[in-house]
Amino acid sequence: MEGLVALTELAAALPTGQLLPVSEEQVGQYLGEDWEFVYRNSDYLLWGTVVTILLTLTSILLGFLAGFPAGAIEAYGSGYSRAFVRKFGVLLRGTPILVIMIFTYFVLPIEIVLDAAQFGLRSIEYVLGPTPFTVPTDVPDAFIAATIALGFRSAAYQSQIFRGALGSIDEGQMEAARSIGMSRLSAIRHVIVPQAMRRSVPGFQNEFTIVLKDTSIAFAIGLGELLKRSHDLFTQQTTAVLEVILFISLIYFVLTFGTNRTLDYVSNRFAIPGESS
Amino acid sequence: MSVADALGIDVGRLRESTDDLGRVAMVVAGIAFWGWLVTRWLYDWTLGRWGIGPGAGENVLSPAPFEQAAAALEGSVVALGPVRLPVDWLATLVDGVALAIDIAPALATGAWYTVVLTTVAIVLGFFIAVPMAVLRVYGGPFRWIALTYTELIRGTPLLAQLFVLYYTPYLALWLNDASVVGQGFVPDYAFWIAIIGFTINGSAYQAEYIRGALESVDEGQLTAARAIGLSKLEGIRHVVLPQTLRYAIPAWTNELVYLIKYSSLAGFITVPELYYRASRIASSTFEYTPIFTLLALVYLGIVLSATNLMDRVERRYAVPGIGQAEGRQQG
Amino acid sequence: MSDRSKTTDGTVRERGADASESARGTEPLLRIEDVHKSYGDEEVLRGIDLEIDRGDVEVLVGPSGSGKSTLLRCLNRLTEVDSGHIYLGETEVTAPDTDPNAVRQQIGMVFQDINLFAHLTARKNVTLGLRKVRGLSAAEARQRADSELDRVGLADQADSYPAQLSGGQKQRVGIARALAMDPEVMLFDEPTSALDPELSNEVLEVMQGLVAEGMTMVVVTHEMRFARGGASEITFLADGEIVERGPPETLFENPEHERTKQFFESIRHE
Repeated sequence: MEGLVALTELAAALPTGQLLPVSEEQVGQYLGEDWEFVYRNSDYLLWGTVVTILLTLTSILLGFLAGFPAGAIEAYGSGYSRAFVRKFGVLLRGTPILVIMIFTYFVLPIEIVLDAAQFGLRSIEYVLGPTPFTVPTDVPDAFIAATIALGFRSAAYQSQIFRGALGSIDEGQMEAARSIGMSRLSAIRHVIVPQAMRRSVPGFQNEFTIVLKDTSIAFAIGLGELLKRSHDLFTQQTTAVLEVILFISLIYFVLTFGTNRTLDYVSNRFAIPGESS
Repeated sequence: MSVADALGIDVGRLRESTDDLGRVAMVVAGIAFWGWLVTRWLYDWTLGRWGIGPGAGENVLSPAPFEQAAAALEGSVVALGPVRLPVDWLATLVDGVALAIDIAPALATGAWYTVVLTTVAIVLGFFIAVPMAVLRVYGGPFRWIALTYTELIRGTPLLAQLFVLYYTPYLALWLNDASVVGQGFVPDYAFWIAIIGFTINGSAYQAEYIRGALESVDEGQLTAARAIGLSKLEGIRHVVLPQTLRYAIPAWTNELVYLIKYSSLAGFITVPELYYRASRIASSTFEYTPIFTLLALVYLGIVLSATNLMDRVERRYAVPGIGQAEGRQQG
Repeated sequence: MSDRSKTTDGTVRERGADASESARGTEPLLRIEDVHKSYGDEEVLRGIDLEIDRGDVEVLVGPSGSGKSTLLRCLNRLTEVDSGHIYLGETEVTAPDTDPNAVRQQIGMVFQDINLFAHLTARKNVTLGLRKVRGLSAAEARQRADSELDRVGLADQADSYPAQLSGGQKQRVGIARALAMDPEVMLFDEPTSALDPELSNEVLEVMQGLVAEGMTMVVVTHEMRFARGGASEITFLADGEIVERGPPETLFENPEHERTKQFFESIRHE
């Protein structure tokens, strides 16, 4: 989180439009006025990128916090809790994210959640008072609605990832753990889960990039993330559509590429020595 | 000695019969759902156009009696004390039914666009994806072409891709110039742009899934094929691909479901599919809850039918020992 | 090879040949009474009666499907019996109010599939039970684990992960893991069936060492050399029933039943 704060402060410190050691006129001269338009508005777009990144992170986090228990319940639970998780999961996975987002924004009694979120953020701000870090306390409704929508949908998919991983662990591991007297819960915690987490990484990587790209759908509820901002721009100067979209596509591409490599690195760091992936 | 035992109830049997009941309910719901859709579509194209009955896009059933019933219930709510809450919910439900009847024709037309868009895009995408996947696995020095294609398309959001195709003047102009577009049965050019966009997007993802399935077919299969005199291409076609396609069914079903859901984005480039129609109605009547609940149910219906269908396909083409039906995600 | 070890209540228990002469007397350590087990329509155990004394090495043999592995799993309640009773010393294992986790601390099991915890080093495989089940401190657990690994000849592989070990090494770690819990009896479910013949030897050697120390063992195996050399009793099971039971010499040279004879003939030709 500290890196993100540093990054945003850096972005704010940069003078407008001076991203590269070339001037605006030079860009216009060599590449045409549409690219000049993009260059001129690059900081507007880069702030959109920040929103996109933040939205992705909060949604994935929510997805994990809800999805992991859900996956465990589906793998090990029984009765009503399991049935509930399954049905709800089917609902979330079978409905378009666009519809879920509209639903969250317009239908849900969102004031309750908004108030809770505001309260939470304000208390964090209070705690962080003396330190140089800050947390935004004025988060737009659309951001929270989008987080909830993306988060719970991601949870529905993450639960499947974890359920699959938990189920793929050989039955013998559980037997061996129990044969030395471990309770079922203890065995799950110390033997099954550590192995399952490692197996979840590829699916998790996939999910991360999906959420990253689906942040673009928050466009529909007016959130100022990258795609919405690009839409604002190219409807202004319609000859520059291709250039603007190419620029943001590059940003998205860099983000997905970067995320995949980072997660690759993390998974290698924690891999079990000797096992092939 | 559990309660069930004490009462002499066979819990196992009971659960079985509720499962069966659930299954029967699903089948009935499925038949009702598709029955309504198909009847509506056929009516709109034939009888509706010829002037018989209320006309294409108009209600057959009147929502009025339901609206009156709902109003009556709501009116009675004031009088009743403790029963207020459930009666209130019942009133909302009946109101919802009235609304459903009201917007059903519009949704049905939208559903047609959704279904056509999805089916055409995924089939066309398939015919691009298979060569791409083969190129990626067996292509030698040309592998990078397939790699670039899939990485670029999978690395950028679908909505951005649709915007490029829609707003970039060249494609739009070319399509608009074709005089067939927009006349009679042939849909507007936005629809064709959506088809192109979804085909390309879907083909990249399908290529990845098929590639994964290709790689899980043992190398020895191709070796054995070549050993009996088949060329590499023939070996791929007759030995490797049949196995690949079976392995790929679960992932492919996944892609089909994704396409069904993401077809909702076509609404942003003015294709009059399900989401577009629902949101138009919602922004004029402001009845977001019932409309979008209904919308979610329609999408759910299409998605569940699709997974059901693919289940059958998988079982029909299953060969013992190849692929598995377990572990596949729903949606 | 034998040493003193602390049990959780702090008393010291001697291991070694004198264990069988301890104050327990001549009560059998393991008593199996009329055990039945069915899987669906198939009855896999049809009334097994067996008594195993402390220090005995009971070897179960028989054709596949005869119920040997199932019986073994019933002993530590990894599988529940349909009817019948199993007693470990004074405790009835099969009683509904007996805590299976407590029983399993007294019974060690070694699996055909080995089942080492894939994400842990050899040492950690052994310390996991000591720390989480027995509650030992990290230092005590480590010390104990190292001595057990040394006992099976793998002290130098303590930091290796299962994927880096050979089959025989993995199974030896599996034995160390079970021994570390100080069990009263060790169960072996075809411990060498999944291993190459060359790798089986190292495992069988360790098992023979345990026999010499006087460990009570119930072994399901096809390794007739071990049966001949180490067993105090051989039980021949077929179709869920005990056909014959006796010392190795009797069963190998002069079996009573025709069925037993046939079985050992067929083994000889392998």
